[in-house]
Amino acid sequence: MTFKSLLTTKSYCIDRNSGFSVVHIGRCLGMSDFFSGEPLLDMYLFETEQLLEQLEQLMLDNEKTEAFGKETINEVFRIMHTIKGSSAMMAFNAVSSLAHSMEDLFSAMRSGGLSGLDGSYVADLVFKCIDFIKQEINKAKTGEYAEGDPSALILEINEYLNALQSGFVNSLSMGVRAESGINAENGTSTDGLSMLKHAYRAVLHFEDGCEMESIRAYAVVHHLKDVATDIWHMPANLTDNRTSEEIRKNGFLVAFRSDLDYAAIQEILMQTLFLRDLSLTELDGPMFEQLIQGKVHLNESAESLSNDVRKDENAAKAEQHLTSGRKNILSVDVSKLDKLMDLVGEMVIAEAMVVQNPDLAGMELDNFQKAAQRLDKITREIQDMVMSVRMVSLAPVFQKMKRIVRDMCKKLGKEARLVIAGEDTEVDKNIIEHISDPLIHMVRNAIDHGIEPPRERVALGKDRCGTVTLEARSAGSDVLIIVRDDGRGLDKARILQKAREKGMLYKPESEMSDREIFNLILQPGFSTNDSITEYSGRGVGMDVVAGNIEAIGGSVILESMRGSGTSITLKIPLTLAIVDGMNLRVGRSLFTLPTISIRESFRPKPEDIFTDPEGNEMIMVRGEIYPILRLHRYFKIPAGISDFAEGIIIVAEHDEKRICLFADELLGQQQIVVKTLPKYIRDFRKVKGLAGCTLLGDGNISLILDVGGLIND
Amino acid sequence: MRMKIKLALEKAGYEIAGEAENGLDGVSQFKLLRPDLVTLDITMPVMSGIEALREIKKFDRDAKVLMVSAMGQEEIVREAVLSGANNFIVKPFSDERLIQTVEKLLSI
Repeated sequence: MTFKSLLTTKSYCIDRNSGFSVVHIGRCLGMSDFFSGEPLLDMYLFETEQLLEQLEQLMLDNEKTEAFGKETINEVFRIMHTIKGSSAMMAFNAVSSLAHSMEDLFSAMRSGGLSGLDGSYVADLVFKCIDFIKQEINKAKTGEYAEGDPSALILEINEYLNALQSGFVNSLSMGVRAESGINAENGTSTDGLSMLKHAYRAVLHFEDGCEMESIRAYAVVHHLKDVATDIWHMPANLTDNRTSEEIRKNGFLVAFRSDLDYAAIQEILMQTLFLRDLSLTELDGPMFEQLIQGKVHLNESAESLSNDVRKDENAAKAEQHLTSGRKNILSVDVSKLDKLMDLVGEMVIAEAMVVQNPDLAGMELDNFQKAAQRLDKITREIQDMVMSVRMVSLAPVFQKMKRIVRDMCKKLGKEARLVIAGEDTEVDKNIIEHISDPLIHMVRNAIDHGIEPPRERVALGKDRCGTVTLEARSAGSDVLIIVRDDGRGLDKARILQKAREKGMLYKPESEMSDREIFNLILQPGFSTNDSITEYSGRGVGMDVVAGNIEAIGGSVILESMRGSGTSITLKIPLTLAIVDGMNLRVGRSLFTLPTISIRESFRPKPEDIFTDPEGNEMIMVRGEIYPILRLHRYFKIPAGISDFAEGIIIVAEHDEKRICLFADELLGQQQIVVKTLPKYIRDFRKVKGLAGCTLLGDGNISLILDVGGLIND
Repeated sequence: MRMKIKLALEKAGYEIAGEAENGLDGVSQFKLLRPDLVTLDITMPVMSGIEALREIKKFDRDAKVLMVSAMGQEEIVREAVLSGANNFIVKPFSDERLIQTVEKLLSI
C-alpha cells in the first residue's frame, strides 16, 4: 500500500456505539481478515448502519424542502430494499418486515398518483423506522436477542398507504397530527384543504416593459403563500425565465384557496407593482377542483416553485453520497492502529538513539550523516501517515447533531436551525470518542436552556428561529470546537446565587470576573436549571463535559452575553502521543517542556527581579509581571543553579496564563513520545507538575512538565 | 445610478435620508436613520444587495425595500424576493416609473 493511494482514497467512518470500532482506510483487502467472530454478521451490521446513516442524512436534507424529489424517493426505496433483503438473510425478521412495508410505501410514491401526500408525516415515519432498526442493530451488536416488535409501526405505515391510495388522506393525517401533538400551522401543507372557505381565480397582466415578468409572478405567488394554500398557476414553471414572454402575452393565471374574503384578496393582489390590470373571481369548490385538475398536478406546481433550486442541490448531494459510499475501504481493528502508533513512537526514540549515539561523538561521518537524514525524513513521514490514518473527520459527529436539534425542537416546541462549519476538520480517533457525548450534551443545553421559545424571541425582536452554530477549526496544534447559540445567555446572578446555596464560592463575589463566574458551571454538582426536562436533566451537568475534555488534555472556555447568547469553546490538542518538546536540564535531572507552551526564553537581568513581602519571586518582562518558579526548588533537586544570572528563564503559557520557569540550561528541541508515568509512581504519591515522561536519544529518561499544573499549583 | 435616483426622487418632493457606497454602510445607515423606504442596488462592493437586504429585514421585518436590478439578474432577483424584498425595478427605467413605484410602495 503506497502512501499516495492512502492519501487520495482515504475515507473514514467511525461508529462509537459499537463494540467493534473501526477505522476505514483506502483499498479493499477483504474485511473478513480483520474481524473476529462472525464475519457475515459483522458485515451486515456495518453495512446496515452505513445505509441508515445515509438514509438519515438524506431525510434531513430532504426535510428542509418538505417535498420528496424523484431521486430521494428512489434512494429511500433502494436503501429499504437492501435492508429488507440482507435482514431477511440474517433472520432479523422484525427489521426485514418493517423495511418491507416502508419499501411498499415508497414504491407507491415512486409510481406517483398519490394525492395529498404529506412530506413531513412521511419523514416522521421514516425517522421512526430508522430508530427502530438502529435499536435492533445495537441489540444484535451487544449479543442481545434482537426481536423487537415493529407491528405498531408497520400498521401505521400500512394505514397511511391505504389512506393515500384510497384518497382519505386528509382526515387521517390530520388525526395523526393532532394525536402526536404537532401543530400544523404551516399554511402550505395540503391538510387544511377543505378547511379554507374561499377559492379564487385571478388573471394578472403586468405593465409593458417592466421586465422579469416571471419573477414578478413568482413574487405574487410568494406573497400569496402567507394567506393562501393550494396555489396553482399558469404558466406552471416560473423558474424558467423564458416564461416572461408567455406572461407578457397571455397574462398570469393563478388559482388558490384562502380564508380571506374577496376584498382582502383584491387588496393584496393590487399591491403588486407594475400591475396593468387584475381580474379576480371567486370560485366555488368544484369549479376550483376542475380548474386545477386535468392541467397540472397540484403538488407539483406549488412545490416545484420554491423547491426547484433546492431540489437540484439535494439531488447533487445525494449523488455525492452515493459515490462516496462506493469508495474502496478497508476496516481495521483500532487496537492494531494503537499498537502501530506505539511502535512508531518506539521507532522515533530508536532513531534518536542511533543518530545521537554517544559513541559517535566527535566523529566525522559524512555518509552516516546522509543516511541518518534520510532515516529521519522517512521516520517523520511514517509518523505523519500513521497519525493521519488515526485522524477522523468530525462530520459524522456533527451530522448526528442535526437529528438531535430536529427532535428537540419538535418536542420542546422551539424553532432552531443548526449551522455547521468546518466539519471536515480531522481529529484523532481517541478524541472523537471523548467529545461525542459532551457535544450532544452541549447542543441539548443550547436548545433547552439557551434558545427561547419562538414567541419570546419575537417579543425580544430576535429572529423567530434560533441558531445553534457548531464550528470546528484547527488553531496551531489545537482543535477548537465551538458550540454557539443566540439564545438568552447565562444568568450571572442565578449562577452566583446557586453557587452560594451550594457553598461553592471560594472568593468574594465582587472580585470574581465574568469568566470565573461562568466557570462555576463546570464545577461538579452544579446545575442551574431548577426544573428537570427530558433532555437536559439526566443528572449529568457541564462538569461531566469539562471532565471529559480535561481527560484528553483539553480545556473548556465559556463566553456569554445576557440576552444575546452563549458560546462554549472546547480546546483540544490535535494529537496526544507525539509532541515537539524542548529539553531542559536542572541539576542532573532532565525535563521536557512541550514547545507549544513556550513563549520565550532569556537570561534575566538582576534588576528585573522582585521579591514580594512573602518571599515570592517575580520578574518584569516588558511591563508585565510574572511569577517565577524555580524548578530546582519545586522538585527539590540539590545541585541546581540558584543564581539567576547563570541559569535561564523560560516563559511558559497555558490557558492564557503565564509563568516563568527557572532552569539551568536548554538542551535542544526534539520530537518526543509521551509516555504516562509508571503506575507504581502514580500510586505512590500524587505527582504534581508532571504530565508524563519520555525517553531521550541517549537513553536518558526525561520528565515532561505539565505547565497547567505548575501554574495552578 | 445613485445620483439619478436621488435627483428624480428629490424632484418629486421626497427627502433623501441618506446615501451609502456599499451594502455594509447602507445597513448601518438604515439602522440609524430608519427611512420609510430603501432602494438597494444588487451589485455593490463589500456587502452585496442581497446580504444587505437580509440584514435590514433581520433588523426590521417591516422595512420597505426596493431592489434595483439590471437585466439578466433574474436568479438574484428571485432570491431577493424570497429574502423579503418588497419589490424590484429593472434598469434602465424612467424617472416616472421610479416615482410611480416608490409612491405605490409607500402607500401600502
